[in-house]
Amino acid sequence: MSTQPHVEGGKGPNSGANPSSVSSILVADCGTVLTKVSLLGIVENQYRLMARGEAPTTVTPPYEDITKGIIQAINVIEFITGRHFISEGRIISPEQPIGDGVDVFIATISAGGPLRVVVLGAVDSRLEELTRQAVSGLYAETHALPAPSFIATTAAVPVAVGASNTHFSQNAGGQWTPERVALEWERQIEGLRDLQPQAALIVGIADGPAGPTPLQEACQLLISAASDSRDRQGAVAGAGSTSKPTGWQRVDTLYAGAPQYVEAVRRMLQGNSDVTRVDPLITQAQIGPTSIAAGALYDRKVMQKLPGFAQLRDWSASAPITTATSLSSLVRFLAQHYAMNVTAVDIGGATTTLMLAGESGEFIPMVNAGIGIGPGLGAILQRVGLQRITRWLPFDINEEEVRQYVMNRMLHPQVVPTNLRDLQISQAFAREALILTVEATKQNNFEWLDADLILATGGILARVPKYGQAALMLLDALQPKGVTSLALDRTMLISQLGAVATVAPVAAVQVNENDAVTHRLGTCVIPFGTLPRGEIALRVGIEYTNGRQVMVDVMSGSIEVIPLQTNEQALLSLFPAPTVDVGLGAGERARAAEEIDGGLVGLIIDARGRPLDLPGNDKERQARLLQWMQAIGA
Amino acid sequence: MTYLLGWSVIPQIIVRRERWSGRYRISSIPLVQPGQTVQPDQAVIRIERLKAIEELATIPHLSLPGVVDPSVNIQRPMSASNAQENIQREVLPAGLRGRVVAVTQRGGVIIESHAAVLQGSIGAGNQVAGILTMWQPTDATGQAQVIPPGALLVVPGPLNLAMLHRAMASGIIGVIASSISSRDLEGFLRADLIDLISSVDAELAQVPLPPLTVLFTEGLGTIAMPVRTINLLSYYQGSIALLTGATSVRQGVFPELVISLPPKEVQEGWQPLQPDPAVILGSQVRVCSGEYEGAIGTVTYLFTHQQTFLSGVQARATHLLLEDGSMVTVPLMSVERIS
Repeated sequence: MSTQPHVEGGKGPNSGANPSSVSSILVADCGTVLTKVSLLGIVENQYRLMARGEAPTTVTPPYEDITKGIIQAINVIEFITGRHFISEGRIISPEQPIGDGVDVFIATISAGGPLRVVVLGAVDSRLEELTRQAVSGLYAETHALPAPSFIATTAAVPVAVGASNTHFSQNAGGQWTPERVALEWERQIEGLRDLQPQAALIVGIADGPAGPTPLQEACQLLISAASDSRDRQGAVAGAGSTSKPTGWQRVDTLYAGAPQYVEAVRRMLQGNSDVTRVDPLITQAQIGPTSIAAGALYDRKVMQKLPGFAQLRDWSASAPITTATSLSSLVRFLAQHYAMNVTAVDIGGATTTLMLAGESGEFIPMVNAGIGIGPGLGAILQRVGLQRITRWLPFDINEEEVRQYVMNRMLHPQVVPTNLRDLQISQAFAREALILTVEATKQNNFEWLDADLILATGGILARVPKYGQAALMLLDALQPKGVTSLALDRTMLISQLGAVATVAPVAAVQVNENDAVTHRLGTCVIPFGTLPRGEIALRVGIEYTNGRQVMVDVMSGSIEVIPLQTNEQALLSLFPAPTVDVGLGAGERARAAEEIDGGLVGLIIDARGRPLDLPGNDKERQARLLQWMQAIGA
Repeated sequence: MTYLLGWSVIPQIIVRRERWSGRYRISSIPLVQPGQTVQPDQAVIRIERLKAIEELATIPHLSLPGVVDPSVNIQRPMSASNAQENIQREVLPAGLRGRVVAVTQRGGVIIESHAAVLQGSIGAGNQVAGILTMWQPTDATGQAQVIPPGALLVVPGPLNLAMLHRAMASGIIGVIASSISSRDLEGFLRADLIDLISSVDAELAQVPLPPLTVLFTEGLGTIAMPVRTINLLSYYQGSIALLTGATSVRQGVFPELVISLPPKEVQEGWQPLQPDPAVILGSQVRVCSGEYEGAIGTVTYLFTHQQTFLSGVQARATHLLLEDGSMVTVPLMSVERIS
């Protein structure tokens, strides 16, 4: 089990809002594609969501000011409520007696793209995994470029490293000749050029056969890359009369290598990179300092560089924090408050986030930067391939249509699917975004937590026309087992409530319960083990609170939805086939001690088996998908 | 947002653009200085030599296992194409009329110009300057149009792979068209378009592409070119223009054609347009997805409440009067203001 450190946002210049005096809050979430703003206020002594507005995010030209998108979204709220919140480009604060203005404004941010981190030095597979774990809760992507001397001493023959690996493909044997070393250098510099890192993480404790040489080479690579980048400095087209500088961005370095060489590294990189020392990264217990330092780098190199950030910070009662940080606060709070394992899912345009929090304080964050259903669509297709996308579609589709769909959506990520075909394609990508994120979490060797509650948010899930579509996406992608509950946050607020809690904790709790997690989809029973083909997998007994009893036989390979509406409860009895498990062991019957809750979909019995196996034959697969969609109301 | 300047076609604006060689490992010598006025056909950069592999010699080499002699000369034999490139000497025209405001580290020249700008949805290829030439279909006599090498060819409609190959074979350096299928464009570029538009360094990503820069005003598919775009390009036929194809969603870089305005058009009292991308009543917009993708229309109504579309999705919407006279309802998020 792993526990990740958590970086709380500091207080902004307008901090000092007295929580007890806060009667209205504007909370903005600036995503890669859309900026969402919510107005929270007090209704009958309870904090409630009053109105929402959204607009395209405006960090790129022609606006190049993150506050413009926020103002546009607030304008929507002004239209809905008839109140005024903006005056001369500023937020009116505190709330005025006539109702204009708000007491508190806060913001969360996921726009700006991930922090690109290159991992240098003596990077073996174990250290690579540790660095991935260290940044798993951040908007960051890591690329390992082990030092040439480290490769030479740990691999018998040259191996492919980095972005370009064609040089050795035809000549991979024999000794490390000077030519090969030179080529390795060239390849690594090309790798750095391709990656355009914003930060470097140097690791390795100099106890390997290459001694401290990998650390020295890491510095030399950074110096060479800086020189190469300076030579290429130019200007790309900007908006209007401006042009943006390109080619040279100073790389900041986190040094998590052998402590005795830190000053030598500083001297070598002087003038090329600022070096921050963190505790050597050797075991999983030491990922905390690296994670915190990388988080601070993200704030400095990405978030604070967003155009308009200074103004945004000036507006805010508390310093803007990342959306992932905010979500993590809420998920951990819910897990401890309700004493259950909570899994939160947020599928965005450029990032997919999965957070697992346990009732005992366990916490596994996975921010899969670059994977999303907007600009991140291309990365999904490249990572999983065509077949894994089309397997979720109940119709024939060719490669060109999928690729054209992806490219058009990458170019116009804000568009709304207006026909069913486009909607189903986008939902197929959402499934794979989530599956990739689950795979990335498992790749980091985190111990998986079976969820008691799965909480879902993000545009593709929140805007589903039918609740069954959201439920099916979650079941297909997460493939939970046993008994769990699904809840949908249609307000897309849960990712901001952690930030709200920093200035108004009562508001965060009340809005969460009153508005954010009110769309309970239902309880799910997912039998697993060996499901007998063509036979009954599970007999389900339901005893409603009015005394009515129902017994339903669920066939292997099928989904059944038993009516159990929101605010209805029932006692559940499960009678699995001898080889089927519902969480208590194969063939073990279960009777719930407490009533289970209904939901917008109902009581879902997913007897399709785990892992979910889709028919290989296209026609059969499509027919099966349609059956499942019909059964769950998708 | 695809249109960095706000609209797809801006007939008058002041822009600053860097004119540079578009290639690395060459030495670019600026021939002009900041403050100097330049003409579109004036040489502003001289390309002198290939720096190539000698850069490697500056990299420190360490003692590595298996390395017999670390001081060995590490220069590799150059390929034939590299060798040819090594002796290449050429000068680059400005492509723009205006004032030099800066010189960049890589030997580029930043020029400020009063210009008309056409922004594309997708493109590929390095920055090139050439004479705008409208493509004419074969006339009644069957004589094919003669297009001078070095031209920027405007095809006012969709393009295909065969046309691109013919254009490159005839020495044309750039093509502006409305649209193309993703398969044809990938076939021509011999590159994965998704990789290309996801690049973190759009300029670097253009290096391995064929020497023909392309800009598609409407994007992928078979979408016609809007009349106002054709009119602008026809009006400036024969002018020298600067074309850039690089496209990177990640970097926020999109293709564009910059045409410096003739001096007679920039008289006293000339004012640049300040495009406002906000969609309001009367805005001319382009639909960028769904059944009406590529259609141009005028906003006649903005719905107060969300509308439900065929997919079942609810979204804020607008009523559009399309150019063919039909009225349609489309999501507000699926339109981009073009003027």
